[in-house]
Amino acid sequence: MKVNEALKVIDEGWLRKPKGFRVHFQKQVDSEWVTEYAPGEKEKALDSDVVAWRLAWKLSEATKPDKTEIKEDELVNIYVVDDLGNPIKYYASNQFEVFNRREIES
Amino acid sequence: METQFEKYKEIGNMIQSHGQDFIIALIILVGGLITIKYLNKLFKHILERFALKAQMIHTVNNIICVILLFLIVAAALEHLGMATIIIRRVLFLISLAVIGIIAIFRPLIPTLPFKVGNTVKVENLLGKIEATTILNTRMKTFDGKTVFIPNTKILNDFVINYHFTNTRRIKVDVGIRYDQDILKVKQILETLMVEDARVKAKPRPVVYVLNLAKGCVELGGRCWVDNVKYWTTRCDLIEKTKLRFNQEGIIMAFPQLEVHHYHGDTSPEFLGEGNHMSG
Repeated sequence: MKVNEALKVIDEGWLRKPKGFRVHFQKQVDSEWVTEYAPGEKEKALDSDVVAWRLAWKLSEATKPDKTEIKEDELVNIYVVDDLGNPIKYYASNQFEVFNRREIES
Repeated sequence: METQFEKYKEIGNMIQSHGQDFIIALIILVGGLITIKYLNKLFKHILERFALKAQMIHTVNNIICVILLFLIVAAALEHLGMATIIIRRVLFLISLAVIGIIAIFRPLIPTLPFKVGNTVKVENLLGKIEATTILNTRMKTFDGKTVFIPNTKILNDFVINYHFTNTRRIKVDVGIRYDQDILKVKQILETLMVEDARVKAKPRPVVYVLNLAKGCVELGGRCWVDNVKYWTTRCDLIEKTKLRFNQEGIIMAFPQLEVHHYHGDTSPEFLGEGNHMSG
């Protein structure tokens, strides 16, 4: 096998380089749960996971819901996803993290 | 006295016969110059909508204005009675002369090693070039200062222009304690660089063991990114490196000194007999 071919195998199999990041969150709209992303799905994604997680954290701090009741402008289940929609690990803890976690009945 | 009177009379007749033409030609010239001034602004607004570079807009605008100026001067001269073909020949000769002068002397004219809009570093000044004149260059630093740099200083000094190449290399240098796992650290550093969306796949990110220094093992991660993303990517990689080291239990080196204190009769092996410290 040539070195170039070997490198190609490594690139495809070792680590996947995401093409962008978005902040996933859920909120109530007319008593129904809606999933949204920031930036939106039609907008250009963020190219830094650090920036995305900081945005997620700030959103969670700004819209922290009450312990019992969730209002319409409050965001829950905030985490960062890659361009395929898969959650990514929080870079600070290297674990999957969800801000303002809430169990939602589907 | 009579010849003077005749001269005045001759001038009066000339003004009477051609005065109207002179006035109209003057009106054409002045009106044309004012029109060019407003058209200049209009063209600039139109060209800016095409998202062209500032230098390109300036150049195209100037060319259009020069052509319009030539047309207005030609119209004024034509109204004065000058033959059109003579005007064209004169203007053509002037254009050739100007182009010839530029072509011959341009290589001899020292040019600045950047354009408006480039990010450059001159001495310890880092910023974006806003404008250049014959005498000085206006630069805005990233902390908001506007600096006027004499062009002679730029031409006689090293200048780093960050716009000549599209990519730039990031260095992430770390120092770890000697008792740490070098292979693990190399793997972590390389993973961090490879999985970052902004880091280029080619040239590949690499990690080198740079030095076995006094207090630490120095390792260096090297990767390439787009010029515009250099700073944020570098800062993110440094942050992630430190946090990942913490998670993986990698201890980074810091300046420290080991002191061995011997009590009583005990003495270190390296002290032999005859040494005044051996007791």
